[in-house]
Amino acid sequence: MADTVLEVKQLTKRYDDLLAVNGISFEVHRQEIFGILGPNGAGKTTTLEMIETLRPIDSGTVVLDGLDVTTQAQEVKRRIGVQLQASSFFDKLSLKELLALFGEMYDRRVDPLALLDEVELRDKARSYVVQLSGGQKQRFSIAAALVNNPVILFLDEPTTGLDPQARRHLWGVIRRIRSEGKTIVITTHYMDEAEELCDLVAIMDHGNIVAHAPPQELIRNLIGKGFTKERVERLANLEDVFLDITGHTLRDE
Amino acid sequence: MRLKGKLAIAAFKMFFRQKEAIIWTIALPLFMIFLFSFVDFDSLGTVSLGIVNHSQDTVLLSRLRTVKTLKIHTGDESEELAQLKKGERVLVLVLPGSFEPGAKDTLTLYVNAEKPQESQAGRMMIQRVLDEMAFQRVNVPRPELRAEMVNSRNLTYIDFLLPGIVALSIMQGGIFGVSFSFVILKKRGILRRMLATPMSPSDFISAQVVMRLVVLMVQTAVMVGAGVWVFKIHFIGSLLDMLVVAVLGGVIFLAIGFALSGISKSEDQVAPVANIISLPMMFLSGVFFSRASLPGLAYVVTGFFPLTYLADGLRDIATEGATLTMIWPQLIGLTVWAVISIVLAVKAFRWE
Repeated sequence: MADTVLEVKQLTKRYDDLLAVNGISFEVHRQEIFGILGPNGAGKTTTLEMIETLRPIDSGTVVLDGLDVTTQAQEVKRRIGVQLQASSFFDKLSLKELLALFGEMYDRRVDPLALLDEVELRDKARSYVVQLSGGQKQRFSIAAALVNNPVILFLDEPTTGLDPQARRHLWGVIRRIRSEGKTIVITTHYMDEAEELCDLVAIMDHGNIVAHAPPQELIRNLIGKGFTKERVERLANLEDVFLDITGHTLRDE
Repeated sequence: MRLKGKLAIAAFKMFFRQKEAIIWTIALPLFMIFLFSFVDFDSLGTVSLGIVNHSQDTVLLSRLRTVKTLKIHTGDESEELAQLKKGERVLVLVLPGSFEPGAKDTLTLYVNAEKPQESQAGRMMIQRVLDEMAFQRVNVPRPELRAEMVNSRNLTYIDFLLPGIVALSIMQGGIFGVSFSFVILKKRGILRRMLATPMSPSDFISAQVVMRLVVLMVQTAVMVGAGVWVFKIHFIGSLLDMLVVAVLGGVIFLAIGFALSGISKSEDQVAPVANIISLPMMFLSGVFFSRASLPGLAYVVTGFFPLTYLADGLRDIATEGATLTMIWPQLIGLTVWAVISIVLAVKAFRWE
């Protein structure tokens, strides 16, 4: 396997009585798409925020691109791209201005239009964030996460609330960014998304990693245990029907 | 430094692209002054005098008209007495047909018994005018009072009001402007997103503070300009001194705004606290009316309000032409408040 970009060991976070993250460990390798799955409240976001230096680590270590997240937080921030769950951007600054400003926060002169090209938003360069659709907002926050040409990109539930067309489109954007050499850590509670997109997944529940393998391997293991779905495998599902009728074209532009 | 500059430029763009910002910082304060300019508070100190003239004389009437405190109405006796009964006149003077200035005569003066102070003052003024005319007629030399006019610029209510409104706008811009905008930045995860970058949070704060201070200087200058050219106020101070005081006051209210945004999670939480702090000052700090009419303890306590120091300081500069050294008590008061509020802001402010 390729070299390790992120190494998490015994990571723990406790809120009063709640053990939000319970000594989890995993590794992410270069150019991998690593999925952290789990129901709401499983500890996905807390895990990400500890890795992103946004939340103090109670115990355990996180080494990112050879840097310790606790002691070298500032240097870590320079190497990561962050898309936070449900976070927004300033009003009254255009996408172009916002990207330039975020670039300055990393002491970089960025080319906003090139970044917007990356997420197919060049024609919205002069728009404000409030004027964007849900899918466009998520793509824009990915563009903002790319201003510092990060080694690793963290996407926290980027497709939550998007329609099937916008989700698929975003998957395409994420795959392309990976193909350009980036490593991506993504959280989701859509299993089809993880199966489609991730090379490796860690399933979290109650602060623990309860499974950790490539999606296909997890599926084979389950079938190997003699699992069969109650209903006969269908050749299509309702989402296929929906996409067949409404098409794959994006609706938000 | 480059980042601070870029952040400040971005802050200006964000501020001035909001239409509400212009309305709140410039249009609304000017509109308030405009409204109050119609209220004729200056008439409050006058004595309304009705004159019923049965004589041929016009000298007494014209002499009485030169007394500014008297507001003269003329009419026939029944009309004027009716007005007196309605409370529209304080005094009604009747000149008999035989009246001649300076001649011995008896004039009837009807007095509104409900207004003893005003009628007393009015009587003295009428008596003085009559005496002068009598002395003139007999040519008796008499000692003359030569009045040295001090501070006789005849300040109008708008002269008093405008510096107060400037101070009030600085307070509102600081307390409400900062606390609301930061609570929103916090609630929408914008501050958090910035914490994920290597930028120092203090750079962001200082850019915001610089932007707000520049805005309040512009606001002060525009209002003084409008005061001088549109509302014709008597402005004899230094605009530069006013800006210094405005910035010092601005620091206090910006810091209070930051402190409030630290203890609140949403706009709904911030609004009542901001109102509790600002409303008493709005009405008791001598913005609209002089604090001199407040009862003893209230007068003393309100004297320590930051808005009182700010309004008094600005007003002394604008209307009395005071220099910064002359308003040292206000400057000390403002400085103490600035220190207190900055300490509070540092302790209370939270990024998340």
